[in-house]
Amino acid sequence: MNINVTDRVGASHIEYLRQKLPHAVLEERWQTDKQVTVTVKLNQLPEAVSTLYYGREGWLSVVVGNDERSLNDSFGLYYVLSMEGEEKCHVVVHAAVPSDNEEFPSVTPKVPGCVWGEREIRDMYGLRPVGLPDERRLVLPDDWPEGLHPLRKDSMDYRLRPQPTSDNENYQFRNDAAGETTVVPLGPLHITSDEPGHFRLFVDGEDIIDADYRMFYVHRGMEKLAETRMGYNEVTFLADRVCGICGYAHSVAYASSVENALGIIVPQRAQAIRSLLLETERLHSHMLNLGLVCHFVGFDSGFMQFFRVREKAMTLAEMLTGARKTYAINLIGGVRRDILGEQRTKTLQLVAELREDVQRLLEMLLATPNFGPRVAAVGLLDRKIARDYSPVGPLVRGSGFKRDTRVDHAFAGYKNVNLGVHTGDGCDVLSRTMVRAAEIFDSLSLIEQLLDNTPEGPIINEDFVYKPYQFALGFTEAPRGEDIHWSMTGDNQKLYRWRCRASTYANWPVLRYMLRGNTVSDAPLIVGSIDPCYSCTDRVTVVDVKKETSKTIPYKEIERYCRERKDSPLK
Amino acid sequence: MKMDTPADIKRMKSSLLSNIRRSAYVYRVDCGGCNGCEIEIFAAITPIFDAERFGIKVVASPRHADILLFTGAVTRAMRMPALRAYEAAPDPKIVVSYGACGCSGGIFHDLYCVWGGTDQVVPVDVYIPGCPPTPPATIYGFAVALGLLDQKLKAKTHIEGEGEQAGIAHPAVPYNVRIHIEREARRMAGYRQGRDIADRFLGMLQIPGDLPLQQRVETFAAAETDPRLAEIYLQIGETLQHPELRP
Repeated sequence: MNINVTDRVGASHIEYLRQKLPHAVLEERWQTDKQVTVTVKLNQLPEAVSTLYYGREGWLSVVVGNDERSLNDSFGLYYVLSMEGEEKCHVVVHAAVPSDNEEFPSVTPKVPGCVWGEREIRDMYGLRPVGLPDERRLVLPDDWPEGLHPLRKDSMDYRLRPQPTSDNENYQFRNDAAGETTVVPLGPLHITSDEPGHFRLFVDGEDIIDADYRMFYVHRGMEKLAETRMGYNEVTFLADRVCGICGYAHSVAYASSVENALGIIVPQRAQAIRSLLLETERLHSHMLNLGLVCHFVGFDSGFMQFFRVREKAMTLAEMLTGARKTYAINLIGGVRRDILGEQRTKTLQLVAELREDVQRLLEMLLATPNFGPRVAAVGLLDRKIARDYSPVGPLVRGSGFKRDTRVDHAFAGYKNVNLGVHTGDGCDVLSRTMVRAAEIFDSLSLIEQLLDNTPEGPIINEDFVYKPYQFALGFTEAPRGEDIHWSMTGDNQKLYRWRCRASTYANWPVLRYMLRGNTVSDAPLIVGSIDPCYSCTDRVTVVDVKKETSKTIPYKEIERYCRERKDSPLK
Repeated sequence: MKMDTPADIKRMKSSLLSNIRRSAYVYRVDCGGCNGCEIEIFAAITPIFDAERFGIKVVASPRHADILLFTGAVTRAMRMPALRAYEAAPDPKIVVSYGACGCSGGIFHDLYCVWGGTDQVVPVDVYIPGCPPTPPATIYGFAVALGLLDQKLKAKTHIEGEGEQAGIAHPAVPYNVRIHIEREARRMAGYRQGRDIADRFLGMLQIPGDLPLQQRVETFAAAETDPRLAEIYLQIGETLQHPELRP
């Protein structure tokens, strides 16, 4: 691996692991001075992950599966841990599953946060996590044939479209409630926002007893696409399209994963430009969320006002990149567009205007009597649940954890700026909203800092060659939290494997716990507060289990109920 | 799998446009988009662009809709929900396919979990291209859908004359120097701005004069008010000292 690594941050974690589990560690490989991959014995994988997770303040970032049969006759499993205790670094726990076995011990019983990652590996590679409490499909659609695992290198062409096995959704929703409950399904189509997702709320009267959801309606097969049709630089533009709101964060995470894997030194100026654009993206995204919060509490003029002001952030992005969305600025090794004096002046002017406008709007929002009391103590994210499931971004910061990739693992231009972490201790919708509000001002200040001390020099480094089978992590703090990418280069000028984990992926599993104990009218507010690229639903069907009747309520009705909280549509 | 429009519905659709006489209601169907399109539709209906001033209103249910707006490449999981939304909207309805992915499947057009663009599932009347389309393009697309404007089509065919040749930019500068300057400018400032900077620098080189190169570059850089541009000019000038570039 990278032989130039001298200063090894995180060696004590490996030492700790060796002490606790004397014979588990087989190999350690350093990708950068703050990234290490330790290979452990497959049967000790759960112990190794949980030892680092709970013993050394590790947080689970992503679980990566990789079909390495052509390299070493095994499937690779990579559990990526972000170490946020004393020595801040990334430790990747790797275990090899022999190709004739196709089973591995599930880590989920010890570290609950692994549940989605392991379900995904089961879908995509057909490896069975033994002991996984939830063996339902996660990523693949309901009409996908059994036994076809898209990411196995030998399973299928990336263009193969098998015939649908059924025309009906047949996902089994889980209800852990003790008594009888009524089912409230929400989605997958909805009006005011974004991704499709289907929710089932299990209610007793007005109270949500449990909730379950089916996501991945928009699974398209990007990771397979990156391995087959695209070269390294093309994937930076594909990564822009992972998410239409925080796509640039993905593009930076992907580019830096390849740069880390190959030891490419990105010019300082390019690093600063990347950070600056990430902050621009955060501005528009946080304002979008604040607008939606206004909408959910029935303060629609606030919603419109936030969108009015948000257009200034869009103008800023358009001026700096040429596009309002999908910036398409990254290449491996640097960026494609400089910030010249004229743009600098305009940016500073827009930043000053935004600061004033947002300040005024926030004062307005906080002075609105139906805001504070409506969102306080709603949608509680318990600190214990947060610790177990490793959520990210303003969601976990609203529960008092100081997790921010920009500070914990300073990347791109964040090494040279002054930045604190805002947290809230209410664990509720209010705390999350206030964290986002504070971060808008941070972003504005960061843009100014970055423009004040922009390093000189070129913006791209083209002096490198691609080497096969190198892998590393790349990470960014997107508006919704940490985005993390794991890339392995191939021998044909294409990626061998690209695993992209969006921030909301880490946040969905805790939503169930946040919904429990609240009322139906709080549901859109809580879902909106994780800022999930999803905010509400088109219609609600109420199924009364006891009476075996069902009744469809228009979406507007449930949203109205969220705002007014009287005349329940369930009656 | 694709649905067809019967003839009587086609006739009703043309009369809908002339007889609508009220606001047009739009229902959004996200068939697997990345949110980029959704967020630009949001921008189009909020105060700065304000599509509602043209009577275009986004509604909450397909049953209220005159126009269905499909975004994103149709994924396997969204095929049935999208068809249900299409069937729920009353006839005659206008279908708009929005964004690069909606129009053709975009970057995802041939993937295993995608059926392609909107027109692979339902008949489409108007396409709004872009990744994502800007709010002005969105409003323009709605106007086309409502028959207020025609689709903008511009075609220009150039027929090459006899002996016609495209001129070389900056012919007085030797080829290898020109290429070098363009590369260096792009390395320093990127593709878009690097081109402009190289043009300006080459323009300076073409002005006749007998001062040594270094001095000319320094004067040129000193006259520039933007410090970053001055830095780039000096950097280009410095690399021109390379022995291979000497005449």
